[in-house]
Amino acid sequence: MAKSAAQWIEPPRLPPSHFVDSRIYTDQVLFEEERQKIFNKTWYIACHESELADAYDFRTFQHPGGTPLVIVRGDDMKVRSFYNICPHRGNSLVYDPAGNAKRITCIFHAWSFDTKGNCVDITREEQGYQNRFCKADAGLREVRTEVGFGGFVWVNIDDNCEPLKEFIGPAMSELEPYIGMPLEVFHYHRAVVDTNFKLWHDTNSEFYHDYMHYFNRVTGMMQPGYFDRKCVGYPNGHVLVGSMEIKYDAYEGSKARGVGWPGLAPGGWILIDLFPGMTYNLRTSVLRMDSMVPLGPNKVVIEYRGVGLKSDTPEQRAQRVFDHNTIWGPFGRNLHEDLLGVHGQGRAMRPGSDSRWVLHGREENATIHDEIGMRHYYAEWGRRMGRKAFDPYSENRVSAAA
Amino acid sequence: MDRAEIEELVYRSCLLLDDRDFKGYLDLCDDEFRYTITAHSPEIRKDLIWLDHDKKGMQTLLEQLPRHNSDHSPLTRHATVYKIDVDQTKNEANVVSALQVFKTDLDGGATALFAVGKYLDTVKLDDGRPKLARRVVKLDTRMLGIGFHIPF
Repeated sequence: MAKSAAQWIEPPRLPPSHFVDSRIYTDQVLFEEERQKIFNKTWYIACHESELADAYDFRTFQHPGGTPLVIVRGDDMKVRSFYNICPHRGNSLVYDPAGNAKRITCIFHAWSFDTKGNCVDITREEQGYQNRFCKADAGLREVRTEVGFGGFVWVNIDDNCEPLKEFIGPAMSELEPYIGMPLEVFHYHRAVVDTNFKLWHDTNSEFYHDYMHYFNRVTGMMQPGYFDRKCVGYPNGHVLVGSMEIKYDAYEGSKARGVGWPGLAPGGWILIDLFPGMTYNLRTSVLRMDSMVPLGPNKVVIEYRGVGLKSDTPEQRAQRVFDHNTIWGPFGRNLHEDLLGVHGQGRAMRPGSDSRWVLHGREENATIHDEIGMRHYYAEWGRRMGRKAFDPYSENRVSAAA
Repeated sequence: MDRAEIEELVYRSCLLLDDRDFKGYLDLCDDEFRYTITAHSPEIRKDLIWLDHDKKGMQTLLEQLPRHNSDHSPLTRHATVYKIDVDQTKNEANVVSALQVFKTDLDGGATALFAVGKYLDTVKLDDGRPKLARRVVKLDTRMLGIGFHIPF
């Protein structure tokens, strides 16, 4: 039965943990709060160590908290991160997304910095500052950086944050046996989508939307083991989706993956969503990494990486590239469908729209179509934000109705 | 072979794909046809291959489209043939064309530039009719929003 206006805004008859107020996807104030309370406090993947293979290599990263960073491998081979902001006049220090430079020299006034963040040259220093200010006063702002969990470079803006291992906890235990060897990024592209970043994470978290994917229906949902895949929540909002055997040859024109992944069962697929916006997706022959940089409540940049083994032969690498792009490239079968979905959500729930509730209410014994992953995520979101996802403005309408 | 016939092959390939006449498009292609979309990523400093199929692979990919959820916005491919180098010994021509792809929203009809790049074609000149033997779509544009299911 269709609903009246009053019925439309009534809270769903589900436990409050099983739905959210859709304004958490559209509110500018909440978004700014997310940047401060979540993104500037949690570990986040900036790039992969293979993107900084040599001494003096650098890589830029637009941190989701809002600050631009530059990641640098020093002459001691250590990876460090700094604000990509000149301490002199606030110019971008590095313009290119990647490169190699022994010194980072600001193009504006030629102040120069080494790979440890020390200022090593202030042009006409004595003439201008007469010992009132010197190179020792002009170091770069360093950001906590660790390399781990498959060789990814993690950063945390908060100097007082817990170690990366503590933040991840046991969440990567299912995947760690498969990502201990040197890995290499072979694919990178971005998508800018008019939607909220949490909606993309939701899509990576719930597999109920496999109804949208013909490829996943025939190779997964219609195959034995699909409905046995377990979802497991871990501390700090992380979620694991367990493996099954994908039957790739069930899709016309596709065939069983010729190149597997060391130790992973043939056709295997392990997916781990990490709070607040990263996903490890090891699917048979390719590790895909999604990481998001939200630009506003209704705009997000999603970075996609395809990762193979550093030891790949040219033939193995070519097959991984093919496998990756068949479903996940910009012309791939699945990625376009996923992006269509969250694009449609962004369009329907944009500010001013009378969207009200988003349901996370499916319970199927914590298996693949159970929406436990999203519930787990929003519990952590609420804890960090000091707000309830189902009642973000403490209007108490939900508790009154429940 | 007349240069105009080679140019017309490139232009017809655009028109047929614009019209989603995939059979007509594949009829322009030699049996040994191979189609590849490439780009270069300055971020990871690597060349990328986003799509790579032989003629049968292209046919399957295009025939599967109705089973998938896709953006149905029409594309308009605008090619300009810049250079044709005929190799008489191989009886083929290497053709370089500039490519612009525009996307028009179904709802409202706004048109925006979707991608730019080049067609790098190898055209077989046997049998009195030019045929596409190899097409590399070398994209400069790497930000394709939500992506697209139909190749350029």
